[in-house]
Amino acid sequence: MRLFDWRWLVVSSVMVAALAAKAETRPQYGGALHIAMRAQPTSLDPADPSQPDSVSRRSLTTLLFDTLVTTDENIRVQPALATSWQTSQGSQPGSQRWQFRIRRGVKFHDGTPLSPEIAAASLRAANPSWNVSVDADSVVIEREIEREGSDPELLAELAMPRNAIAKRNPDNTLSGTGPFHVVDWQPGKKLTLAADENCWRGRPFLDAIEIEMGKSFRDQMTALELGKEDLVEVAPEQTHRVSQEQYRLASSAPIELLALVFTRDVSSLDEKLLREALALSVERGSIRNVLLQGAGQPAASILPNWMSGYGFVFPSNADLARARHAREQVHTIPTWTVGYDGTDPVARLLVERIALNAKDAGLSLQPTPAATTDLRLVRILLASIDPWIALANVATVAGIPAERASGSVEDLYASERALLATQRLTPLFHLPVSYAASRTLKDWALHPDGSWAVADAWVEIGKQ
Amino acid sequence: MRGAVYNLAIPNAIPNSVNRVLRPANILRKVAQLSCVLLGLTMAARAADWSGPEQQLARKIAAVTGPGAVALSVENRSSLGKRDGEIIQNGLRAALEGLGIRFVKAEQSAATVVISLSENPLSYVWVAEIRQGEGEVAVVMVSAPRPVGSTATHESVPLSLRRIPLWSQDDPILDVAVLEENATPTRIAVLDAGKVSLYRWQGGKWQPEQTLGIAHARPWPRDLRGRLIPAKDHLLDVYLPGVTCQSAAGAQVALSCHETDDPWPLVPAALSGGTVSVFPSAGSTSVAIPQVTAFYTPTRNFFTGALTPGVGKFRTVSKFYSAALLPREKYLLWLFAATDGRVHLVDGMSDQATRLDWGSNLTSVRTACGAGWQVLATSSEEGSADSVRAYEFPDRDAVAVSAAIDFPGAGVIAALWAEAKGDAAVAVVRNRETGSYEAFRLAVACSQ
Repeated sequence: MRLFDWRWLVVSSVMVAALAAKAETRPQYGGALHIAMRAQPTSLDPADPSQPDSVSRRSLTTLLFDTLVTTDENIRVQPALATSWQTSQGSQPGSQRWQFRIRRGVKFHDGTPLSPEIAAASLRAANPSWNVSVDADSVVIEREIEREGSDPELLAELAMPRNAIAKRNPDNTLSGTGPFHVVDWQPGKKLTLAADENCWRGRPFLDAIEIEMGKSFRDQMTALELGKEDLVEVAPEQTHRVSQEQYRLASSAPIELLALVFTRDVSSLDEKLLREALALSVERGSIRNVLLQGAGQPAASILPNWMSGYGFVFPSNADLARARHAREQVHTIPTWTVGYDGTDPVARLLVERIALNAKDAGLSLQPTPAATTDLRLVRILLASIDPWIALANVATVAGIPAERASGSVEDLYASERALLATQRLTPLFHLPVSYAASRTLKDWALHPDGSWAVADAWVEIGKQ
Repeated sequence: MRGAVYNLAIPNAIPNSVNRVLRPANILRKVAQLSCVLLGLTMAARAADWSGPEQQLARKIAAVTGPGAVALSVENRSSLGKRDGEIIQNGLRAALEGLGIRFVKAEQSAATVVISLSENPLSYVWVAEIRQGEGEVAVVMVSAPRPVGSTATHESVPLSLRRIPLWSQDDPILDVAVLEENATPTRIAVLDAGKVSLYRWQGGKWQPEQTLGIAHARPWPRDLRGRLIPAKDHLLDVYLPGVTCQSAAGAQVALSCHETDDPWPLVPAALSGGTVSVFPSAGSTSVAIPQVTAFYTPTRNFFTGALTPGVGKFRTVSKFYSAALLPREKYLLWLFAATDGRVHLVDGMSDQATRLDWGSNLTSVRTACGAGWQVLATSSEEGSADSVRAYEFPDRDAVAVSAAIDFPGAGVIAALWAEAKGDAAVAVVRNRETGSYEAFRLAVACSQ
């Protein structure tokens, strides 16, 4: 058995960009934080598969629950509910056994002590296919490995909010070990939280958090202007305008992929040429400048460059000549229907602009909010800042079979290239997630996965 | 306000630990020379470190192009500094030449190779895009781990406040105490959330001497604070929220901790219980300084305001983060950085809330400069680095007597405590660029 060297592993959620770390005064205790969000989650269970992944959900989960491991500011894996871990050869050939020692003295919000049994049950609920067991004071996970001595993605997966440890009670209530506990929960509408006085990481500075759900971007900004909210979401195309105002504006690293996704595989050489022509026709730069108001980055890669380091090798500039050349090799040009989310304020404009670009290349696109289309404009929130996990998740969303994998950066590049070669999706932009906050909100943090962290936040009490 | 940073800064130089104002001093000149040597060693080590990925990438490129004439260009898309970029470019060229590749202009080449020095959160990623004729572009790449923890160069400015590096580590530092020193500290104690670590300066560097664990049952509060107080009859005392520890003498130091709400001392040990000159530089009158202790909230980050024995008629003041003492001719003036954001002046008869725009960390030092006592106080413009400045109080108004001094990596001050001798302070700073914690001795220099 050897101690695993975790220092160089990437995991999902906590590359923290500390915001506005104004330290002229120490953190002050007390006060309530008011947050608004568009999402309307109907469950707080981190493992509930019926709830779509969103930055809001990730943020809520970290308020109520903890994971076995997390990351520090240098994106290195750090102990959380697990104090240490070891790997050894598994019971089956080609498998690896991970043993996570569970932290002592931690209690759930209902007073129940954290135990390996509860942690194991939580992980099983989130990952029914995992082989999870208990060994004395530890949780044991055994799974096949792709290559000798290497399964770094397990730690990355365990750090994801969906693998947070929750105690699921027979009456369908949940209990966590996070810095806040639930006081009132109106699914999809409102969540009220109070500080956990006995939090194992220390009592949070805030007394309470009130989160209003289902608020449009516009309503959120209005509420911020009226002083009714302290932290609101900002649409990417609105960030430039908001930055001119008096609020603190913060954007994550580009973590959302905006892409065209075809609903079926390429079935002929003609179709391959037409999809290539479409990808070459989109003027990402001008769309970004006009419709996205300068937000985000034009992209022809699935993973943003900051995550992979090689994204720039996929050219994202339009090449109308090549697009026309590809299109001219096809005799019959079908009209493709392009779907978009009717509730997305900018999606229709984007699709209409893409249709115009396509028309310049001799293609025919018909935008529609209908559900059944030939292709769709989709926003894919990258599941993790671990590039392998993110890539696999995008493949799943695009309907491309993908297996768990890991390896060198060149292996990653080859995998991404293979995914793009299927032509099931055409990357367009990598977008950040942005927030505006009142100036009295201090020491909140923004993770590169787009979620906010307010466990260490505090509200400034004005000098009297 | 700072936006999210997702390409971590890669510092490319060691800390500039020598303040300009100290350059004339021989000893510090030697320190500067040593720094230059270290800088050279660092650079040399760093250059050597690149050879692995350089060879790797060269082999991958040569496997595509074969030996022959290529047009090569190298573009730095990463946070690597210009010098490192040049070192790597030279290394790559040498490695490629070793594999039979010659460099020519694009029009004379069989292949063009564009190498981009890029990066992701964990690694440098060097990518070579190889074009041969009209064929598809071949892409090969290698990765190299990025260093963690080095610090960016910081431009120091001439000040009467000196900043002398004591210690640096990744884990949050709560306090550092100098236990022994000759011209410079030779033995220090470093307090963090779980232990006191003793280090001795030997062989030109700090050598770990002993680690003393701190036992505690309750979770620590967020924004944990703590103090190390060197003692006369034993090595040191440790004060943490709800816990105090005392060292036991012996060949090996032992630490005995217990849960208690014992008050923390506010007056540096060397100054309490005796008399001190109010204006030492002018040989002025002396005043007695009793030890004053204050109760600390075990689950928060501030003092409750309860004092023992108190300041004049005040047994309780506003809840406060830090306190500073200023002896006057006939009384002691206390400054409290209260949790209401204001600095309170308490002279034993009155409690006056000021409009000073200071931070919540302040302390005082007794020096041979100026009026003899200076208050060191934190301050920061919103969104910028924290700074410390020295002030004097001719009457009840603060007068700045030094320029503001800031810290490497746009540092945020996590702690500011007076040292046991009372003539200097220790500032603990979180370096925002590296995430590490750095402790500095702050001393007031005269005649600057």
